[in-house]
Amino acid sequence: MSFELNRRLVARRPALDTHATVDSVTASIVNGAFETICFEVATHLGRAASSAIINQSNERNASIIDAHGRLAGISVGIPQLLFVSPLAVRWGLENVRQDDWGPGDVFVGNDPDYGGGHLPDYTVYAPVFDGRGELVLIQALQAHQGDTGGKDPGGFSVDSTDIFGEGLGIPVLKLVHRGQPRRDVIDLLIRNNRFPSFAGDIAAMISAVQAGAVSLQALLTRYGVDLVKAAVNFNIDQTAQRFRQAVAQWPDGDYPADVWIDQDTAGNPDVHVRVTCRIAGDQLTVDMTGSDARPELVNVWNTFANTRGYAIAQLASMVDPAINKNEGLFYAVEMVIPEGSILQPPPNKPAALGAFHPAVEVGEAICIALSPILPERCAPQVYKLGMPNAVIGFNERGEMWMDQGVDVRASDASATQGLDGWGAMCAGLGNLILATAEDAESRFPVLNLAREMTTDTGGAGRWRGQPGTCNIKQVLEPVSAMTWMVSRKHPLRGLNGGDDAGPYSNRFLVGTEQEFEVQNALNAQLPAGAITRYQYGGGAGFESPLLRDPLAVREDVLDEYVSIEAARERYGVILTGSIEDFDLAVDVNKTEDLRRQRQTAKTWDSAR
Amino acid sequence: MNYRIGIDIGGTFTDFAMLKGQELILHKNLSTPDDRSVGVIQGLERLAAMEGKSLTQLLEQVEAIIHGTTVADNTLIEMNGACTGLLTTAGFRDELELRRGFKEDIWDVRLAPPVPIIPRRRRLGVPERIRFDGSVHTPLDENAARSAIRRLAKQGVESVAICTLFCFTNPVHELRLAQLVAEEMPDAHISLSHQVLPKSPEFERVSTTAVNAYVGPRVSQYINRLSERLKESGYSRHLLLMQSNGGVMTQEYLAGSPIRVLSSGPAGGVIGSAAIGRAKGATELLCVDMGGTSYDVSVIRDGQAPAQSGWNWHHRYLVAVPMVQVETLGAGGGSICSAATGTLQVGPASAGAAPGPVCYGRGGKLPTVTDAMLVLGLLSDESEFAGGSFKLVREGVAEALQEHVAGPMKCSIEEAAFDCWRVVNANMTQAVRRLTAQKGSNPEDLTLLAYGGNGPVFAAIQAQELGIQRVLVPRTSPGFSATGALAAQPCIDEERSYIVAGTKADIQHIRQLWQELDQRAEHFLQQAGFSRQDMQCRYQLNLRYPGQNWSLTVEAATVQGAQDWSFAGDTLIAQMLERFHQLHFARYGHARDSEAPEITGVRLIASTEVPKPHFSGGFTAPQRAAVPAKQRRANLGHGFRATDIYRGADLVPGHSIAGPAIIEEAFTTIVVYPGWNARLDDAGDYELNRQPN
Repeated sequence: MSFELNRRLVARRPALDTHATVDSVTASIVNGAFETICFEVATHLGRAASSAIINQSNERNASIIDAHGRLAGISVGIPQLLFVSPLAVRWGLENVRQDDWGPGDVFVGNDPDYGGGHLPDYTVYAPVFDGRGELVLIQALQAHQGDTGGKDPGGFSVDSTDIFGEGLGIPVLKLVHRGQPRRDVIDLLIRNNRFPSFAGDIAAMISAVQAGAVSLQALLTRYGVDLVKAAVNFNIDQTAQRFRQAVAQWPDGDYPADVWIDQDTAGNPDVHVRVTCRIAGDQLTVDMTGSDARPELVNVWNTFANTRGYAIAQLASMVDPAINKNEGLFYAVEMVIPEGSILQPPPNKPAALGAFHPAVEVGEAICIALSPILPERCAPQVYKLGMPNAVIGFNERGEMWMDQGVDVRASDASATQGLDGWGAMCAGLGNLILATAEDAESRFPVLNLAREMTTDTGGAGRWRGQPGTCNIKQVLEPVSAMTWMVSRKHPLRGLNGGDDAGPYSNRFLVGTEQEFEVQNALNAQLPAGAITRYQYGGGAGFESPLLRDPLAVREDVLDEYVSIEAARERYGVILTGSIEDFDLAVDVNKTEDLRRQRQTAKTWDSAR
Repeated sequence: MNYRIGIDIGGTFTDFAMLKGQELILHKNLSTPDDRSVGVIQGLERLAAMEGKSLTQLLEQVEAIIHGTTVADNTLIEMNGACTGLLTTAGFRDELELRRGFKEDIWDVRLAPPVPIIPRRRRLGVPERIRFDGSVHTPLDENAARSAIRRLAKQGVESVAICTLFCFTNPVHELRLAQLVAEEMPDAHISLSHQVLPKSPEFERVSTTAVNAYVGPRVSQYINRLSERLKESGYSRHLLLMQSNGGVMTQEYLAGSPIRVLSSGPAGGVIGSAAIGRAKGATELLCVDMGGTSYDVSVIRDGQAPAQSGWNWHHRYLVAVPMVQVETLGAGGGSICSAATGTLQVGPASAGAAPGPVCYGRGGKLPTVTDAMLVLGLLSDESEFAGGSFKLVREGVAEALQEHVAGPMKCSIEEAAFDCWRVVNANMTQAVRRLTAQKGSNPEDLTLLAYGGNGPVFAAIQAQELGIQRVLVPRTSPGFSATGALAAQPCIDEERSYIVAGTKADIQHIRQLWQELDQRAEHFLQQAGFSRQDMQCRYQLNLRYPGQNWSLTVEAATVQGAQDWSFAGDTLIAQMLERFHQLHFARYGHARDSEAPEITGVRLIASTEVPKPHFSGGFTAPQRAAVPAKQRRANLGHGFRATDIYRGADLVPGHSIAGPAIIEEAFTTIVVYPGWNARLDDAGDYELNRQPN
């Protein structure tokens, strides 16, 4: 529980001891088997878990860690979980003797001050041993829990000033000893959780890692322990090498970027993330010096493991997607994360909301920093929505239910060179499967009234951002609703001359005299029938909208991504005809004139 | 003597497998892409001639024609489906585009969006709302619906998908919208989501319905034309269609959801592979099907090729109906070879059946894999090709290879042909590696089963590269998807939504739903000419713990013949809950005794047995070396040399052939590479084994 511990947890770990050598084909088969086992473990959890955020929305990720605590393989997951599990497991590895590790054991940890992400992200893990009792691999699984037993239901608190208000922190705890569940311990966890589905979720997590451990054991038997170890070493080295080869192609230099969050949950404005990407030969250093460290900030403290994870997730999206995702990425990238800043907080800071912001801003800043040299791959792997509108109620038996709001439709799908933003979100969130109205309404007393894209909300550009959706939802019973608004003042930034995405807005009690716009963090009681209306900003644009092909603008207007007015005002494209008659045409001469005027005005503006 | 005929139409060839008692008769002719039914009738005429009958005489004696088709797939590959529109609940028109957030590769920021099969301008919301319990929250606004329909009509929409929220609990709005569409656009094809996929959630259902609407008119038109042609030619029974789940059903049954034939051609091959593999004691199979245009790979575990429903992405669209899993690569005999860019590329562009490879002599000018195989001596212009439909010609082959490959690469024509062979081989090997690695299997543990006209040419060399020791080539290999269609059962697999706590479930209601499903299945099976007596019904319930999103299917009873509800007594639900706890324990390693499971759906799988080809294996026939028919100059990877050529027709069970050698079967060529040995098992099928060094 100190910066010293953080330094120890991230210290570079050596390769596994092995006498075997491995060829690249066998190594790739072992890697494929790891990915498959992780996929199966994650799927097992998805099928068996009881809470919607896991079983509908995939907010879980499986990984395989080696005996030295190195990431050996992962399943596809979501950025905030993908690269986080190794540090939590490393804390466990520091205590192997004390905790009497052995075959058939299962552990859990969630403590941000001991390598964890934020409290709701439980890492459950099972060690796998060779025939001589030596630890070889660890099957790990992370999933977001609906409650953590803190002062507010739902695992989040908008006004908690320390981690203890957020709930139960677990550095490491043994759940299963030599195959026997420790009922007393599991019952304690269940007792400290408001969510009735938690018992099913934790049971599913335990059985999933047990299944993964069995598969890993079979793999060790099939290929031999030495060979598997050699394959792990080979794959990690190869990833580091391939990442460095990519960096070597990038021009040397310092590439800084600044990103701001509107405010923390207490209203302190303009929380600042600064990143400098420094390239020297094949060495990339991500230096976060200069990022905010104001001690009065509330809830915008991103845990250390998350900061590292987000940086790597963004960088992995900016190189060849075929590079295997493992510890090699951490080998290849140096990170400077100032101790005591919002990106490596002092002990006991609240952590739940920091895993959203400034976590994603780390990735966004890296993306902006590298956008001049990687125009084809600079798509920020972020979500800028603060937190979704979480709706919480209690049923007739007094059991808590929560609609976690993973029903975001379109937000933050930004353009990059040659490609409009498309789909619901950035590629990195493509494994987060959004909740559906039909499943939600079968479970919760809510009604989804609309979730369509709003014309003109995405950032304009030569390549445009995807418009954001407007989600309108009605609650049918009295509930409490929790949210945190950002990106009203600092929306997702346009790149290389593209327009910013639209600002977010979130209105409560829509259609009543009490209707209001959420300004910041909020924990509100809503009566039955209350309607909320959340407008997402959409993705940002890339390069000047005046360069967009006028025919593409015409198509956008026909599809109502862009209005006729915005075609003229933002894109400088004059259209004749009407949408109703589907006979829109570009007035070429007027369009050229208008674009010329705009271009001149712009040049003159920037000259001033 | 009655006949059953399986037909598979590929991009290049149309394959026929005719079951006459226990005898299996194969035929193959070129596909006719402009009107595929022409090729079907040509082939049937040929089969009739082989039996010494007229087409009408033959068809009068045919009990069943079973057809697998790729017409739905081709429509999605070529993106030339109907101009399609969507009517949906107001506020939800973008679900199809947003895909629940899914992107195929979370690391690839360069991934382009799929081509929209229904662009946003043709996705229109209509005010209406049904709630989860089937109650009407907002009545359908008919005026708004009519004006939306007119907007679709104005855009030239030919096919309308209708998908409203919770329609599967109460279809009243979808049905009314269908009436309005029929009034406003009398010629439009209509797809109703509660018929295509009657279950939640909305994205899976709207996507499946949209794809159904997009391919539907083309599929229906094709099937109608084919069935009319068959009728005109004297066939009076029902055309049975292979479904993507590996079962077969009638055109009438599939009328509302033609999407169920997606990928049904390859599904036939996989079903056939599983059956033949089981007969030969090979339950872990890597099945590779190389035809004229594509290379399909699938893996069979435990002798089964299970269909999976739900999260099936096909051609970048989600199609949630149950499907047998097959991966496709654009590599076949017709794949075009070109070194124009400086590096040699083979495929995915294909010469198809028309004009086809240069050596087909049908006007093809671009060199293909088949042309390279001719130059290498793996194929010959002296032997009959495709069962004697035609002979290959050399004219123009050398020139085409010279211009597009040898010239740019500055090598000889024979070297160019060998490089084409190497590249297509490597492409296929990599595809197999990706698939098996994804599944975590080591190919060395599998038996390779090769089929398709070109599969056996490459099978042994691919096996060698993958470390596989054993290769099976069924004698029926070239028409194996057609043979597989004969091995598939008529099958109806349906469910009805019923969400209720297990403790509150009403057995009368469950029974009523089973009865409805049963009557529907009986209706369609009887219409297809099957009797109730032969009908086997598996009654099932879907169950889950509260909060779970995925259900497990629990078997209630299997009943053969007449309806018998004695199993559905008062104690059934309690038994089912207990079975669910047990199944959950078996599947997920734990049961939650303190939680009361809930029922989510009522299911029925109705099927009926039909005569199938008899597959067998074994090596009891006396072993002896076969005698080659001739020799030919050929390059089997070790340079050109005189190579023994065997005629398949001369070979009988027990015959053994050491590589290097080439076996010419009527419809395929089996290459026995150096270091391999081929022998015929008791069924007359080939088994190739790697010889110890």
